[in-house]
Amino acid sequence: MLLEIGVALILAKIIGYAFEKIKQPAVLGEIIAGIVLGPFIAGRIFGIKYISAETEGIAQLGIIILLFMSGLEIGVEEIKAVGKNGLITSLFDVSIAFLFGYIAGNTLGYDMRTSIAIGNIMVATSVGITVKTLMEMKALHTKVGELILTVAVLDDVLGIVILSITLGKGQPLMILLKVFIFFFSFVLILLLMGKIKNIKFHIPRLMLTLSLAFALIFSAFAKRLGLAAVTGSFFAGLLFSVFPQRRRIIEFTRGIGEIFFIPLFFVWVGASFDFYALKDMGMLVLLFVPMALIGKVIGCSLGAKISKFKTRDALAVGIGMMPRMEVALVVVTTEISMGIFSDALAHQILAATILLVIISSILTPILLKIVKEKASTSQEG
Amino acid sequence: MNLKELHEKKIKDILDKKQVWNLPLVEKDANIQEVLSILTTRDHVWVVEEKGKRKICGVITESDILRLIAPHRLPKYVFGKRYSVSLHHGTARKACDVMHKQIITCSPEDKVGEALLRMVNAGLRRLPVVENDEIVGEITTHYIIQILLGKR
Repeated sequence: MLLEIGVALILAKIIGYAFEKIKQPAVLGEIIAGIVLGPFIAGRIFGIKYISAETEGIAQLGIIILLFMSGLEIGVEEIKAVGKNGLITSLFDVSIAFLFGYIAGNTLGYDMRTSIAIGNIMVATSVGITVKTLMEMKALHTKVGELILTVAVLDDVLGIVILSITLGKGQPLMILLKVFIFFFSFVLILLLMGKIKNIKFHIPRLMLTLSLAFALIFSAFAKRLGLAAVTGSFFAGLLFSVFPQRRRIIEFTRGIGEIFFIPLFFVWVGASFDFYALKDMGMLVLLFVPMALIGKVIGCSLGAKISKFKTRDALAVGIGMMPRMEVALVVVTTEISMGIFSDALAHQILAATILLVIISSILTPILLKIVKEKASTSQEG
Repeated sequence: MNLKELHEKKIKDILDKKQVWNLPLVEKDANIQEVLSILTTRDHVWVVEEKGKRKICGVITESDILRLIAPHRLPKYVFGKRYSVSLHHGTARKACDVMHKQIITCSPEDKVGEALLRMVNAGLRRLPVVENDEIVGEITTHYIIQILLGKR
């Protein structure tokens, strides 16, 4: 186990960096490091068994830390600052993206719970690649860039909320009650934290320990209520974003997350990739990937158009919101660990999501450049 | 002054009354150029709600500006808006775009030792002295050294 993890860290770093050099997200490199270490390559050649209870445990912690970091970085203040345009576009964005996923599942003949789970995967955008592309195009400061960044803030929050509501097991009324209890506790703690945030203690690194511990406890609380653990860690991040020590907590969480836990989550995702799943998934991929891309383009463009954006700019917002990455992979692995997909289907959906991540990362910069360049003559500053 | 004595003193006892007129302040809607020009001679600038008022709402330090003037680099995992703030890409326009919104403070009644510990724990080199949400002074590493050496 120790050897595998050590090798995984180095491989993830090297391939991740190589991907950054060719202007692709490092996360893709980390997944590929996992595929290399998985049963089909290193497993065959060296007899390495990367997937074990230990590596899975670390990957699970990676998920918790990733979502905690996301909550911390997004922050309660920033959510409050989202204006009308951001809100309208986000609502169209998440509902249509979700609906397209659901329709894809339904068309393929899956039951309601499975189709909803597929819808969940399609909700959360990862704007890293879009931000890079907009920077290259010197368009980050434009209205389009601004709206994309704003929508991406709400997108993650709404994605996690939808995940919480739709994944519960049991009577709908009971699920709603549990979701209510969770969010009521969140608001209560938020109010409490607002009151105590300036209390001064002199215990070294107290806030850092407390924040991480709270992320784990709140995740356990969410899980106990039948919601996903990631819901707990994301909202724990939002709670700690109100503290004056926020930057410090972010630095600390980024430190342990980026160096150790999060790359090992993506390596684990790659190592779970099953090549055999590819041969039976023709229709799934044919529907899953296009629906994920089209859903975002339609949802966001429609929202932007209603917010009085020009058609071409609205389209650019839609395309800019296509990439899926970290959160989509977190959602799919969470759903797999909750046992929503049957064994064979789980492998196929994971493979389809990885393909979606790859295709959307490649396609977004190309399409964004085409749309924006054609619009450049009429583009505002 | 003896270091131990200094730790026991209250902040209000070591604050120079004239300091309050010489604090680096800027309002949150101030243009980034204005912020930069203050930072040509200062290490940091406190951000206040309105011009002429002292209600503090943020701080911009040298290291924030360093990040703005260095070639822009996104982290591996991007969340939120913070990493898109860039001078080169025109997304850092006003003081409030680049400031730290949550600030760690001290009050005139705090002991100097406590304030220094707070600075060490939080990795800060300066603290605003705040009374009723208004900035009334600042404690910086430079200032403490000057007191220790009897230059103040």
